Amino acid sequence: MYAEPDLLRGLDPEEVERALAFGTRITVGRGSELFHLGDPADRLFLVERGRIRLTLPMQVRGHQEDVLVEERNPGQTVGWSALIPPYRFTLTATAPLDTEVIALSREALQQHFAESPAVGYAIALNLASVIGQRLQLFQTMWLREMQRTVELRCA
Amino acid sequence: MEMLLMGVCLSLLGLAVAALAFNAATRPESSVTAPQPEVRPVQAVAAPRFFADAVIPAAAGPGGHPATPRVPIEALLLQIENHVRLEQAAAESFVEYPTAALLHSKTVSPFVN
Repeated sequence: MYAEPDLLRGLDPEEVERALAFGTRITVGRGSELFHLGDPADRLFLVERGRIRLTLPMQVRGHQEDVLVEERNPGQTVGWSALIPPYRFTLTATAPLDTEVIALSREALQQHFAESPAVGYAIALNLASVIGQRLQLFQTMWLREMQRTVELRCA
Repeated sequence: MEMLLMGVCLSLLGLAVAALAFNAATRPESSVTAPQPEVRPVQAVAAPRFFADAVIPAAAGPGGHPATPRVPIEALLLQIENHVRLEQAAAESFVEYPTAALLHSKTVSPFVN
């Protein structure tokens, strides 16, 4: 790995190697989709190289357009819906340039967590951090947009 | 007698000329309506804009409302993307140091300005 995966932060190097051994390296060509909104989510991904764009569909002038919501860079985790019911991706992930990710299946991770609860606990905390950061960011962005709407209404 | 009549006539003539001259001198000027140049409403001049060489006047759309210039869809999507990045950066600043001032800091995004 070129950057320490945020999902495996705090683990011993041997534990990191063991967790990564469950993974499958995938190359996503420039412009290709890693997963699509609504797809069943049975794997999460650690970005190893390149970049992943997370988009949501938006109606722009009567056409559906994928609008950027977030970007994920090397070391960051994509697709945590694989560990959270109902296990469906809530965004579309594409690679704007040639990108490599390590795919970790839910089944393999859950089995590993059962065998090594301490590792499972550390990864669950890291996952909570990833989800919490996104929640904080998006509630802030939502409130700023609402503030603008209120200002327009009251102008 | 003839001389007397002639004097009276000349006096009357002089009086008449003097009266005409007085009347002409004291005529109010307002009664004279000189042709005035046609006054045309001056078109409103747009406030000067920096960094904008040409301001395209908005054409009237349906209902008499000025039509919004159509931005190409690719440019619009880029503006949206740029707006998302700027707002995300602003949100990250707030999450790092949560204050009301940072939460309500004005965006520099041209998409909403």
